Amino acid sequence: MQKIDKDEYQKRLDRITEIFAGMVNHADELSRHRCPYKNRFDQCTAQFGCRNKLKPRAPGELPLCASDDKLDYRNAWETERS
Amino acid sequence: MAAISDIGNEFIRQEIEEYIERPEERARTIATFAKARPEMQIIAAALIDGDNETVDRLTREALAAGIEALEVMDYGLIAGMGIVGIKFRQNFIFVPEVLACARAMKAGMAHIEPILSASGIDPLGKVIMGTVKGDLHDIGKNLCIMMLRGAGFEVIDLGVDTAPDRFIEAVEEHRAPLMGMSALLTTTMPNMGKTIEAFIDADLRDEIKIMVGGAPVTQEFADDMGADGYGKDALACVELAKSLLGVRAR
Repeated sequence: MQKIDKDEYQKRLDRITEIFAGMVNHADELSRHRCPYKNRFDQCTAQFGCRNKLKPRAPGELPLCASDDKLDYRNAWETERS
Repeated sequence: MAAISDIGNEFIRQEIEEYIERPEERARTIATFAKARPEMQIIAAALIDGDNETVDRLTREALAAGIEALEVMDYGLIAGMGIVGIKFRQNFIFVPEVLACARAMKAGMAHIEPILSASGIDPLGKVIMGTVKGDLHDIGKNLCIMMLRGAGFEVIDLGVDTAPDRFIEAVEEHRAPLMGMSALLTTTMPNMGKTIEAFIDADLRDEIKIMVGGAPVTQEFADDMGADGYGKDALACVELAKSLLGVRAR
């Protein structure tokens, strides 16, 4: 089996951490106005209920998100499964 | 200087042309992929697409064919994740897509882990992570898990709505020295305290470090509950995990 040099591996981990840290910072900024469960198709990926959930565009698809991305969405979250 | 036409994979070329606008990022990305063999470009493309099954299969095949693990990381997994980071920063994709790509990266790294182990490179530590009982929110937890794995930790994800018994069971099964609990609702935060009490009742409290986090959680609340640490975000989570386990830089 091939072997990996520890220092070389650590360089890769450092690069991964750099990429992920940028993502986490952006996610934090974005979440102030856009629900983090809303995907690029404006669909809801959350398992819980939310007042902003709308019917999916087609059967079998994810529900749509009605949020206008301007308000703090967290008040709309419920505790029950959707 | 490498040109975009030097990149054989059409999907990768399109990703660069459509999403990478900053000249220095564009040049760096083109230079990376121009050096990448076709198999690596396909892995990167699958990762960008969040296709964890394809990344899993292709990484396994690449390593079996004798391609070096670091090459797979550099030109497949990390190169792909670099484009994901750029697209996310520019709001072409969002958190659900990022987490799908992170899952794809994990699928690829799973095949590299035995090589790491054979090389004497152990995980920084083992961490059990879960959202507490009654709470179905998981994005914050998932971002923490992404960061922890990226930093070299082995993470066991218990998911959401995790009862105290399940945390205990996982800690015992995996012999994990560290556990993280997430709660996003003030109504479920008390379950963090109940879980800690369960560890006390089971005579396991001294064997586990417990960190907590989530939007409504504060340092004061963590202290009152008897947690060992509080992380305000995913970046803090990693530093806290290292601190609690006494991990030094490699």
